[in-house]
Amino acid sequence: MTNDPPSIPGIPPNQPETSGFEAMEGGATLSNVLHKLLKKPLSLIHHFEHGEQRNSLTGKLVLIAAICLLVFGLVVGSFSAGTQLWAAPLKIVGGLLFSALICLPSLYIFTCLGGLNAKFRTVAGLLCCMIALAALLLVGFAPVVWLFSASSNSLGFMGFLLTALWLLCVGFGLTLVRRAGKALGMKGSGHLVIWCAVFLLVTLQMPTTLRPIIGKSDRILNLEEKRFFLQYWGEQLTTPHRPNRTAEENID
Amino acid sequence: MHNPAPATRFPIPALCRGDRELLDGWISGVRTGSLRICLTLIIVGLSLYGATVGLWRGWEMAAYVAIKLPAAVLLTLLVNGLLNGMLGLVLGSGIGFRQSLQFLLAGFAIMALILGALSPVTFFLALNTPPADAPDARDWHALTLLTHTVAIAVAGILSHRKLLGFLREFALSRLAGVQTFFAWLAGNLFVGAQITWILRPFFGTPGLEVQFLRPHPLEGNFYDTVLHAALHLLGF
Repeated sequence: MTNDPPSIPGIPPNQPETSGFEAMEGGATLSNVLHKLLKKPLSLIHHFEHGEQRNSLTGKLVLIAAICLLVFGLVVGSFSAGTQLWAAPLKIVGGLLFSALICLPSLYIFTCLGGLNAKFRTVAGLLCCMIALAALLLVGFAPVVWLFSASSNSLGFMGFLLTALWLLCVGFGLTLVRRAGKALGMKGSGHLVIWCAVFLLVTLQMPTTLRPIIGKSDRILNLEEKRFFLQYWGEQLTTPHRPNRTAEENID
Repeated sequence: MHNPAPATRFPIPALCRGDRELLDGWISGVRTGSLRICLTLIIVGLSLYGATVGLWRGWEMAAYVAIKLPAAVLLTLLVNGLLNGMLGLVLGSGIGFRQSLQFLLAGFAIMALILGALSPVTFFLALNTPPADAPDARDWHALTLLTHTVAIAVAGILSHRKLLGFLREFALSRLAGVQTFFAWLAGNLFVGAQITWILRPFFGTPGLEVQFLRPHPLEGNFYDTVLHAALHLLGF
């Protein structure tokens, strides 16, 4: 009987989770960082821990994340058009970078609690990698979002679709955080699970705080009216559906 | 002794067999013309089959569906192209953007071959179907819909089984190949359903006029429609 470890999405079997934690080849050029982010993201973490020109790498990751989120936000904003064409991209970029910033101290503390012996800048770099990877994947989904934003007027459906896509993309990012933690010598992953839950909660609350991101409103921001995201979603779902559909609106 | 036809000259049998030499050449880029071959097969196979889908509502509808069926596949690949390439890389299969497109084109080419080969049968079925203004037209419409759904499902399953086999062999590991396959499948099904909904009608419901697209094709979506139908059935 074998005692193989369970397989993890994104990690080929017969290879330890930490494979790819090696020096980054090709330098920190923008195209190489993009390539490594998709194929060998652990080499970026290795560069933060052992390499040079770390600030340049951080800058490139933040730039990739910002550009990707702007593009994704533009597509999201096209659902309602008007002021949302510029407001949605700015809210998505600002909201996510702010979420990352307020979660960075807790990531550092929780990784230390998990036994990690890494520098703060490495942990900050890890968070940048996570955000950049999730943002890059979101751009991959942008044509899908555009297709539905152009053909759907259901606010509930768009909200569900965007939340599902965010959870999917950030899932890849959180897997990277866990793999990087192991590569850097973290003993257990329990503390990271707690941090992941905190980060998810923050990023799910942020769109409610910065609402509306999809849909129209007289005000660009509605910071006075405080809501928890579950309460807000519940209110949105209980709005009535269109009662009658014509025959042409059915599948034929 | 029987010698099989060279894969370069007539690639259809080799593609159906899942010939490793042919695919190696296509994936590595050594063998040129794969894009032309796959696109030709998809357009010809699906156009032939599509024409037989719409034929029971007349030649006008047959022509419309002959255009729309290959268009639905190509638009799905276009919308998901970037995503499929990213998923191939991020899931550790080692399959990049160009290769992911090549794999999916090969998979859809096989599906088009199967449906194209079935088109004489469905053509015969369409010729024997009463017109849309016949008293029992709704029953025949249901039968036509069921027949084509089964044919497309069989072609889809057979072609995707081949695609899964290709991916298992070419990916860096079998597991990564399987994960990439299911990620592509989920994405293509999700987007494909919406694109075919936008491009409706395909079967032509009796009582509705023959049109290339329904009025306001970009209003509403497939999943919203299915949800409403389910809620209606459940009495909500």
